Amino acid sequence: MDLTFTAAEEEFRSELRAWLSAHIPAEWRRPGFWESLSDEESFGLRRDWERDKALAGFAGIQWPTEYGGRGGTPGMKAIYDVEMVLADAPRTVNPLGLTFLAPTVMAIGTDAQRKEIIGPMLRNEVIWCQGFSEPGAGSDLAALTTRGVRDGDDFVVNGQKVWTTNAVHGDKIFTLVRTTPGSQKHRGISMLLIDMHQPGVDARPLKQMSGASEFGEVFFDDARVPATDVLGAVDEGWRTAMLLLSFERGASGMSQYTEFRRQYDEIAAVAKKLGRDRDPVIRGKLARVLTELECLRLHAMHILTQTEQGRDLGFEASMTKLQWSEASQDLWEVFDDVLGEDVTLEELDDLDLTPFNAQAMWSRSVTIWGGSSQVQRNVTAERVLGLPR
Amino acid sequence: MFFALTEDQQEFGSAVRTYLAERFDLDAVRAYFEAPATNDAGNLDGLWKAAGEQGWLAVTVPEEHDGLGLGLVEAQVIARALGAGVAPGPWRGTVLAAEAIRLAGSAEQQARWLPRLATGEAVGALGYSRSVEYGQTADVVVTPEGLLTGFTATPVGSYDRTTRLARVEGGSTEALPGDASSLEARATVLVAADLVGIAREALTRTVDYDKEREQFGVPVGSFQAIKHALADLHVGITMAEHAALYAAHAVDAGLDDADLAVSVAKAKASDVALASTAAMIQYHGGIGYTWEHEAHFFYKRAKRLAGQYGTADAHRERIAALTL
Repeated sequence: MDLTFTAAEEEFRSELRAWLSAHIPAEWRRPGFWESLSDEESFGLRRDWERDKALAGFAGIQWPTEYGGRGGTPGMKAIYDVEMVLADAPRTVNPLGLTFLAPTVMAIGTDAQRKEIIGPMLRNEVIWCQGFSEPGAGSDLAALTTRGVRDGDDFVVNGQKVWTTNAVHGDKIFTLVRTTPGSQKHRGISMLLIDMHQPGVDARPLKQMSGASEFGEVFFDDARVPATDVLGAVDEGWRTAMLLLSFERGASGMSQYTEFRRQYDEIAAVAKKLGRDRDPVIRGKLARVLTELECLRLHAMHILTQTEQGRDLGFEASMTKLQWSEASQDLWEVFDDVLGEDVTLEELDDLDLTPFNAQAMWSRSVTIWGGSSQVQRNVTAERVLGLPR
Repeated sequence: MFFALTEDQQEFGSAVRTYLAERFDLDAVRAYFEAPATNDAGNLDGLWKAAGEQGWLAVTVPEEHDGLGLGLVEAQVIARALGAGVAPGPWRGTVLAAEAIRLAGSAEQQARWLPRLATGEAVGALGYSRSVEYGQTADVVVTPEGLLTGFTATPVGSYDRTTRLARVEGGSTEALPGDASSLEARATVLVAADLVGIAREALTRTVDYDKEREQFGVPVGSFQAIKHALADLHVGITMAEHAALYAAHAVDAGLDDADLAVSVAKAKASDVALASTAAMIQYHGGIGYTWEHEAHFFYKRAKRLAGQYGTADAHRERIAALTL
C-alpha cells in the first residue's frame, strides 16, 4: 500500500500551485463575481485564462509532448484536477474537446487532423462541441436520424442535435451523422467534424430548470462539411464514438471528491448556522452521504492504481459514474432536509442561497447526462455481472 | 500510488478460499450449523489445525514470537475469505487477543501467549461484548481491563449458528501495561471485512442462480427490476471492499483519518451485507426462504455482525461527530 505520489508528481503539484496562485485574480473568488458578468464576458475571460494556462505548460497533462502536452503521469493528471478545484480555478471552456476529441484524434486521426485540431484546441482558438444526442435519440443513441448526403467533395447535413454543451460558444462540432441512407442502428454512421460558423448551422441556447444555459440545441439545415473532415472511416462512426467515449475513464474521481467534500462542508456550515446539525436524522443523512463520498475517494485511488498498472478498466466506468452522480445527488437532497420549509428561498438570515440552489438543481442533471443511471445499471448488470440481456 | 492488494496479499485470500472450498464447504458449515447451539466442538478440528498451519492465526504476530509479522491489511484479507465461506471458528478472537498482547502486553506476556496463539494451541477471544464469540473454547479473553483467564463460560443460544457465543464470568484479570486503544478499531475492521466477504459471496451466488432460473420462459436475471438491484449491490459492495481495505491500512499506518475510515468501513459493510443477504433470499424466490438453502447462513451471520462493534447508525453518528 502506497498512497503517496512520486517526488516528480509532488514537484509538479508545487509548480502548478505556484502558477495558479499567481494567475487567479483575488476578485474572481469574490462571491457573486462570476454571476455579475454576462455569459459572453464570463466565457471570454475563462477562454483567455485557460489559453494562458496552456501556454504556461499546464494543459494536456498526460498528452505526449509532440502534441503540445506535458507528457505527464496519470498521478499528475489526478493532481492537476484536484488542484484546479482547490484553487477555485475557472472550469475549462473546452471540456468535450479536451476530454474526448483530442485523445481520439491522437489515436485514429490523420496527420493533418492531428496538426489542425489539437494545437488550436489547446490554445482555445477553437471551441469544440459534441453532437451526439438528438430529440429522438437519447439513451438509445443509435436511433439518431441526422443525415449526411454526399454532394461532390462535401457531405450535406440535415437534422438536429440537443443537450449540446457550449452550443452558442462553439466553433466546431464533432457530430454523429447517418451517412448511409436507410441504414439501421449503429451501422452507416460517420463522425463528421462540422464548422459551426456557416449559414446551415444554427445554435440556440437551451434554458435549463436551473435558469442557466450550459446546454443548447444545434440545427443543421443543408450544412456543408468537406468529406475529408471525417474522424475515423466513413460509415464507421459508431466505432469512433465508442473509442471516444472510452476516454471518459480518465474522469477524475479525486477532483470530484474534492469538490463534493467542499459542498458537504458548506452544507454542514449552513446546518450549524441554522442549528440543524443537532437533529439526529439530519446527522444520519449527512453521515450517509459522507460515507459515499469517502468511498468515491477510495474508488478514485483504486482507478488511479489500476491505470498506473496499465490494467484495462473494462466497464468499471459505469460504476464510477453511478457512485459519483448518485452520491452528489443525495448530498443535495440532504440540503433540502437541512432547510426544511425554507428550501426554496433565495436568501435566509443574510445568507445568499442562490449558489446552493443552483447546485441543487444541477444535481438533477448528473444522473441523466453521460449515460443515465438506468443505462449504467444495465451496463453493470450485463457487462460486469454477466446477467442475460 | 498503490491502493490495492499485492499478489502475495491476494494469495493469502485465495489460499483460505481454496481450503474452505475443498475442506470446509457449505455442507460442513451446515453440519456445524445444525449441531446444537451449545455444542462448541462440532467438526472444527481440521479447520482449526489448518488455521494454525497455514498462518491465518499467526498473521499479525511478530516474527520473534513465531508469527508472520504482517498487518491488519493481510488480516482483513483472511477475514473477508472466512466471511465469504461463512466459516465458523474462533479465528477473529484469537487474532485480536494476540493483537492486544502485541500492542500492550509486557515482554513476558508476549512470550507466554503469542507463540501459542499463533499456532492455535491457545484460543483467544475478545470480551468487549456481552456475548463473547467462542468464550467456551477460549483460554484467554481480552477485556477492557486486561487478560482474563480461569473464567466460567456459559453458552448463549443465537440464531447465527455459524458462530458460537458464550457469557463469560469470574476468573482473574491480569492487566496489560501498554496501550491497546486501537484494539476496538482493529476488531471493527475485521468484522467489516467479514461482512464484505459475506456480501460479495451472497451477490455472486444470487447472480449465478438468476442467470439460470427461468420464469416466463426466460432467465429471471434478464428482468430489469432484478438487474438494477443487483447492479446497485455490486457497486455498493465494491465500495465496501475499498473501505475495509483502506480502514485496515489507515489503522496500521496511524493515518489521521483512521477513525473516520473505520466508521465508514463498518457503516458501509453492515449496510451492503444486510442488503445483499436479504437480496439473496428475495432473488432466489421461495427456495431462498427454506432451511435447506444456504441463504440463511449468510443472512444470519450478516445480522449479527452488522450489529457488532456498532451498528451502521452508530457509526454514522461517529462520522457526523467527526465531520460536523
